[in-house]
Amino acid sequence: MTDSEIIIEVLHGNRNSFGILVEKYQSLVFRTCMGFLHDKDDCDDLTQDIFIQAYQSLKGFKGESAFSTWIYRIAVNASLNRVRRNSGNPILNRLDSLFGSGKEKEFQLPVSDTENPESILIRQEHSKWIQDALNGLPENQRTAIVLSKYDDLSQKEIAEIMQTTEGAVEALMQRAKANLRLKLSPAFKKIGKTP
Amino acid sequence: MDCQLCQKELDEYPGGNTDGNLNNQVKAHLEICEDCAVIYRIRSLAESVISFEKAISPDNNLSATIMARIEKEEDVSNNGKSLFIRILKPALITSSMAAAIFAGVLMGNIYKPISGEPGRPIELTLIDDAAIESVDILSNQ
Repeated sequence: MTDSEIIIEVLHGNRNSFGILVEKYQSLVFRTCMGFLHDKDDCDDLTQDIFIQAYQSLKGFKGESAFSTWIYRIAVNASLNRVRRNSGNPILNRLDSLFGSGKEKEFQLPVSDTENPESILIRQEHSKWIQDALNGLPENQRTAIVLSKYDDLSQKEIAEIMQTTEGAVEALMQRAKANLRLKLSPAFKKIGKTP
Repeated sequence: MDCQLCQKELDEYPGGNTDGNLNNQVKAHLEICEDCAVIYRIRSLAESVISFEKAISPDNNLSATIMARIEKEEDVSNNGKSLFIRILKPALITSSMAAAIFAGVLMGNIYKPISGEPGRPIELTLIDDAAIESVDILSNQ
């Protein structure tokens, strides 16, 4: 059954058919969210919201693009909104962390049993740098990087999702890489060959 | 090998499409060039961070949770509609009827016959009520 057929069924009142689309695209949406939020619980929540939003606006889906492209657009917009919302309340966030009511957002790479605590900490700190550098990119550069590196999409697919040209995506990617290099190089130069 | 070529080849290093000779040249350049070595370290770490995040799976029950939430939200929305039908609609009808009756009474009270319309006959108006003999007097007679 194609996506279009499933959508027609859902629009005719067969709500359960939407479950097929959820099963099919949940990993894709979750991965996109991960590229922006870097937190599993946040991404689970946001993935739920994205599918509910998609279900409610399914009547507006005209079929001009693939369902995957449409759901990617919703996921990117919802993720960017969530990021804006999270960064929009610095005082609240600080209070949250101060009183321990906020969730622990520290990103942690997997650790092996043989690794000593110091190197684990160093590695996690370096990972945090990468994460912060990604978060500090302008929204369009960040979107291009996330869709390329997290979702392994081609420039053509990214261009379709971002409603721009392949050339523009290529330029965004180059600028994003240059920005990441600029942000991270000084820190990595200081620490030598540690990572 | 210069830095520009090295950084171009870093996409494929190590392995990938880079052939053995090119691989060795990149390796040799990275050992002598700190700038390219830093870029390579950033790339490697970024790739390991991204690979780790990509490997995280959503909750096993995520799709069930989503469908349950959709069902719940639809039920709430339907309940909202039935609440309107059950309570608000009869209330709206009753209040409309009351308003119509009130308006009718109000309009009836402010109605005045237009001049020229035949009113009380003039003979009746001229009758002097005080001069009419009491019924009691008449009955006594």
